[in-house]
Amino acid sequence: MTVDAEMEGLLRDLAPQVLTALVRRYGQFDLCEDATQEALLAAATQWPAEGMPQNPRSWLVTVASRRLMDQIRSEHSRRLREDSILAATPQSELLGRPADAEAPADRDDSLTLLFLCCHPSLSPPSQIAMTLRAVGGLSTAQIAAAFLVPEATMAQRISRAKQSIRNGGARFAMPTAGELGERIRAVLHVLYLIFNEGYTTTDGSDLTAPQLSGEAIRLTRWLLRLLPSDAEVAGLLALMLLTDARWAARTRPDGSLIPLAEQDRALWDQTAIAEGASLVTEALKNGRVGPYQLQAAIAAVHDEAPDVEATDWPQILGLYDLLERIAPNPMVSLNRAVAVARVHGPAAALELVDSLAADGRMTNHHRLLATRAHLLEQLGDHAASAESYRAAARRATSLPERRHLAARAARLACT
Amino acid sequence: MKYLMLTYGNQEKWDAIPADTFPQEIAKQDAFNKKYAQTGELIGAYGLADAVNAKLVGRKDGMPAVTDGPYLETKEYIASLYLLDVESHERALEIAADMPWADQEPVELWPILHEAATDL
Repeated sequence: MTVDAEMEGLLRDLAPQVLTALVRRYGQFDLCEDATQEALLAAATQWPAEGMPQNPRSWLVTVASRRLMDQIRSEHSRRLREDSILAATPQSELLGRPADAEAPADRDDSLTLLFLCCHPSLSPPSQIAMTLRAVGGLSTAQIAAAFLVPEATMAQRISRAKQSIRNGGARFAMPTAGELGERIRAVLHVLYLIFNEGYTTTDGSDLTAPQLSGEAIRLTRWLLRLLPSDAEVAGLLALMLLTDARWAARTRPDGSLIPLAEQDRALWDQTAIAEGASLVTEALKNGRVGPYQLQAAIAAVHDEAPDVEATDWPQILGLYDLLERIAPNPMVSLNRAVAVARVHGPAAALELVDSLAADGRMTNHHRLLATRAHLLEQLGDHAASAESYRAAARRATSLPERRHLAARAARLACT
Repeated sequence: MKYLMLTYGNQEKWDAIPADTFPQEIAKQDAFNKKYAQTGELIGAYGLADAVNAKLVGRKDGMPAVTDGPYLETKEYIASLYLLDVESHERALEIAADMPWADQEPVELWPILHEAATDL
């Protein structure tokens, strides 16, 4: 009795719809969320054996509603609440919807759910966990596996997030027009974090942990269907696709890192590149330019170049200029310095990097030290370069990165 | 971001705690553990066995070669370890400073390297 990929995909698509249907009827987000998870679990065990119901969505809503009622009944101290909910619920609502009755306004409701999960009153780890569970339909165990923490730890995070939603006055309602822009930015940031987490930790060998980058792409695709005219949503999806396209080329079989310049570009996923490039081209044409679109455009220039020498570096530099202007941030300036090295030479870039190092946040950042080492190497100062690579290795925050930088330092010391 | 927190000590130090306040001191630590397990930030908290039970393990001819650690010579040894998973470095510092005896005994805080790196 296994749940095939198609059925799992369907269940995950239906998860936010079922949850929003319940919340709309009964309120009480936290209880509805538990009930939805139980209904999904029931479907995953029953459908493979008994066959898929005619209207899977109604089936899930009905089962989840029953579970919700059971849950409320089983808690003696909540007798009063049960009475009030039951009294407020028309009998017909406790039965499944007729198979031909499509629920109205599901699209908007799912979006409301996403806004609730990414509410600013929640910490980013809670926003991520809630989004993956309530909107992505992943189980607590799957989310815990993806973030390499025990299930109990993740369960605490989720239950705390739900408590904050209940107590913190976050309401199941669309943001007002005035706050909509900011709330969409918060949602995009959460999706971006999910993607990054997946892109940096998934090695593809652990089948129990879902591919978070793939999940982030799925959710962003879905968000773009809900907000088709938002250029930054399109920009984020493009950025994810254009980055994910290089996934197969970025590590060696032993897990060590391959820098962009040395990657085998034949391994890049051309379908993903074509989709990402066309998305960002359209977005830049139609919408207001934003940081995700610009980062996607930079990724597209890299992805479309046959090799590192043939890359259109002046265009990349121009895009970084724009990005630095609309979203100033020392990391953007550092990346811009790499483009400057290609266009104006390593000496000009080194000057930029050294002035960036004056910024206290960046002085000892391993990325800055690594970039500095790379520029010194190009300028032929091997001793200073090796020293800078070693300093970068000491401060690296990931194991493969530390190994990579230490290997560079060692190679220079031999020359 | 994951962090390892370590506390150090030795039997002499623990013996110095008056017997009648010992349960209260333990309760403080239990309360700390519970508090951060509930926020989902404390992944695990473990007290280590006495140093006489610590071994130094090498390999000789494919077999484990076990001796009592030379670490026993050090004045203080690791007493307990805590695994954290927090949002930021600042948050890790905050939690470390909230350890019951951090006002008297500093807590060692080590960032744990990620399993994989961001793109280069």
